[in-house]
Amino acid sequence: MFTEKAKKHADACRFCWMCRHLCPVQLATGKETNTPRAKGLLVSMFNRGLPMDEGAARIMYECLLCGACTDDCVTGFEPPLFIREARMKAVAEGVAPAYATKLIDTLVETGNLYGAKEVRAHLDGVPETGDTLVWLGATARYSTPEVADALLSILKKAGVDFAVLKDEPPSGGALGDLTGYIEDVRVQARQAAEAIARTGARRLIVLDSYDAALFLHEYRDWGVTLPETVTATAFVDGLIREGKLTPRKEALTVTYHDGSRLARDLDEHRPARDILAAMGCAVVEMFQNRRLARCCGSAVMGRALPQLHARIARGRWEDAQRTGANVLVAACPQSTEALAATVPQGYTYQDLFVMLDGRV
Amino acid sequence: MERKAFMSDMIRTELEDVVGVENVSAQDSERLAYGVDYFWIGRMWADRGNTPPMPDWIVRPASSEEVSRLLTIANYYRLPVQIWGGGSGSQGGALPMAGGVMLDMKRMDRLIEIDEVSRTITAEAGMIFQRLEWFANEKGYSCQHIPSCLTCGTIGGALAHRGIGIMSTRYGKIDDQCLSMEVVLPNGEIIYTLPVPKHAAGPDLNQIFIGSEGTLGVITKATFKLFEQPETRQFRAFLFPDMHSGFMAGRDIMQKLKPSILRFFDEAETMSIIRSILGFEKQGCFMNLALEGIGRIVDIEMELVLDICRRWGGEDLGSEYGEKWYKNRITFFYPGHIMDIPQMFGTMDTVATYQNIEEIYWAMKHAVEDNFPGVRFIAHCSHWYEWGTMIYDRFIMDHPPQDPEEAIRLHNQIWNAGVRAAMAHGGVINDHHGIGLKLGRLMKEQYGPAMQVMQGLKKSLDPNGIMNPYKLGL
Ligand SMILES: Cc1cc2nc3c(=O)[nH]c(=O)nc-3n(C[C@H](O)[C@H](O)[C@H](O)COP(=O)(O)OP(=O)(O)OC[C@H]3O[C@@H](n4cnc5c(N)ncnc54)[C@H](O)[C@@H]3O)c2cc1C
Ligand code: SF4
Repeated sequence: MFTEKAKKHADACRFCWMCRHLCPVQLATGKETNTPRAKGLLVSMFNRGLPMDEGAARIMYECLLCGACTDDCVTGFEPPLFIREARMKAVAEGVAPAYATKLIDTLVETGNLYGAKEVRAHLDGVPETGDTLVWLGATARYSTPEVADALLSILKKAGVDFAVLKDEPPSGGALGDLTGYIEDVRVQARQAAEAIARTGARRLIVLDSYDAALFLHEYRDWGVTLPETVTATAFVDGLIREGKLTPRKEALTVTYHDGSRLARDLDEHRPARDILAAMGCAVVEMFQNRRLARCCGSAVMGRALPQLHARIARGRWEDAQRTGANVLVAACPQSTEALAATVPQGYTYQDLFVMLDGRV
Repeated sequence: MERKAFMSDMIRTELEDVVGVENVSAQDSERLAYGVDYFWIGRMWADRGNTPPMPDWIVRPASSEEVSRLLTIANYYRLPVQIWGGGSGSQGGALPMAGGVMLDMKRMDRLIEIDEVSRTITAEAGMIFQRLEWFANEKGYSCQHIPSCLTCGTIGGALAHRGIGIMSTRYGKIDDQCLSMEVVLPNGEIIYTLPVPKHAAGPDLNQIFIGSEGTLGVITKATFKLFEQPETRQFRAFLFPDMHSGFMAGRDIMQKLKPSILRFFDEAETMSIIRSILGFEKQGCFMNLALEGIGRIVDIEMELVLDICRRWGGEDLGSEYGEKWYKNRITFFYPGHIMDIPQMFGTMDTVATYQNIEEIYWAMKHAVEDNFPGVRFIAHCSHWYEWGTMIYDRFIMDHPPQDPEEAIRLHNQIWNAGVRAAMAHGGVINDHHGIGLKLGRLMKEQYGPAMQVMQGLKKSLDPNGIMNPYKLGL
């Protein structure tokens, strides 16, 4: 069931202790099974005949696929690779946890994790075809619409003509996280690419960093073609550089959370910081910043295991609190969803786009 | 005692009453994760598809008070209690060989205090050591306990095994760096060692619990020294013609100075690991060291080091190899670089005076290589004192027997031969990895009648023998 590559990686990780200090899930729960090594050990045992039961499957879902472990590995081993395949096995063998199965059903029925039918972001009057397409992603459309609205408002103020799909199909990212990269995920990817192609767009601005990473990596690996793809942070930063946006400067000390997809998968650290600097903000870095950032949660984890998700987000808040800054900023709707729901007393969470929209 | 019918459920609910239902597990897949630590036999056992040793319950306390209540329950029911920090110990110390309760300490990972006036840091013992170091770094300090397992093990594990880091030659071993501790005794009493730099109030309680490997109680909090970050750290590497000249140069350096890093490799390790990681091609015995602190002082110290090494025939290789070694210092430990199954291997670290160390090196090398065909022996010295040093000797066998029983027999025979050779020539059973399950049988040979001191402690503190059975020879 596991690919040869996944087997090799699990066999390497099962006896390796080097990256456990980085795993945000392990840090939140203190459970040995929430270390990449324990997950590798279990997968290596499945490959040696141990049947996967519901307990083992549950362990495989207690992972954000955040890539902190992968990024740390000098040799290049990737725990998320075999964890994702273990989820595929769990689904195929009918032992996936009930919450995962329910989420998969919701995704299949409604196209999004939230089971939402009505988009909450304000898209009235926004065309559906054009040169530049903004891809919002499910979290911004259904859960944090203020982020979507802010980005669209910023683009309007900068004089950018853009289109947004009223019915944005699923990117395949959430399904891929829940079931591994089964054929259905590739089908969703192809359907999303076709929907994008129908808009006639030659440029794709992606708000959700999970989707951006998927588009720029997995879609390419799967041979699914998209127009030129850019993250919303990089695009907006470009607008400021080109003088199309001039933010009002208001001195404020903030700390910035690097979302794991942006910071690790896309190696993007500068644009968000430049946008903050353009607004007059002084950034006090958390000790774990950029590629070393501790993941604060994901939309999938938020729906699947909400209590664990909140604990993980609070862990990131603790990092932020030690900087002495009272304001925490992030630039991905999935980070906003996690961090805005867990703000400690005396602190403020600000989404980067919402903040910028108020200053242009 | 056998537990019949629903007795296990009765005990489980009592444990749950202390830590909450979500922090007790008896699920098979969770229990499996605690059956393999860094001990070769445990790994080989799992690799061959065998079921690892498993605890009956995993219990995850969040405070010393919870640990205290759990130990009271365990004592009442005579349940074996094992303590699991990171599980990165190489001696099988945390393995649940007797079943019972496994205390996973990692929920106890809070930073308690950084005292910038005294320069100390206090945290709960389940914290991964790297995180303690990061907390210190955030404030501009370092604990200077920088072992290769910095990211792998916990505070409690480092203390329980008397661990050591690469900077030990200047900043000390964990038992020099730890100032005080909170410990939960097997009967549930919470005690504190004295929170002062040194004292004359009887024996040092710290040194009873440091190295006790979970057999005398649970370490729940610890306070460590903080050091200012050095203004400069300068590296230098040398090539010595033989082991003797390197040992003597090391001794002379230690008599005058305190390098932070001093590592000396035998020819076999120079020609294998050092060659592959640093690309160093020459034959001989490689040494690299670092001096650190205030720049002006370090410059003078480096001149003295150069003099000493020259006197013992050491060829000056400049700073580049030492810097490269430092950059790659943990690369050695990642999969693909470190020894792994199917190889059989072990680290037989020992420590002795300069008078004995060279003889020990050769005695161990012969004991291993002459008696066990197909087994290689490589060594380096990484922690130095004014009057002695340690040897980090490793044996490696590329093609061990497939049959687990045969493999275990051969493994233990090699260990017996190597460690007995060390002890016979003035070395000790272990330098910094501890005893655990792996070496317990040799403790009586090491200590002779002195073993009764440890046995007495065990008997009085843990009369029911619940704490970590089969470990430390107790
Ligand atoms: C890659 C790698 C590199 C290593 N490099 C080094 C090195 O440079 N220096 C070094 O010293 N060691 C090294 N080790 C060995 C090992 O990591 C250390 O012994 C480490 O201190 C073990 O810590 P742990 O938390 O993983 O302990 P565990 O393996 O969980 O437990 C070890 C022992 O300590 C006991 N214990 C754990 N927590 C407590 C507690 N709170 N109270 C009482 N007893 C407790 C356990 O019961 C057990 O007997 C290395 C290991 C690996 C895997
Ligand atoms: S991907 Fe992230 S959450 Fe998952 S095991 Fe690795 S570090 Fe932990």
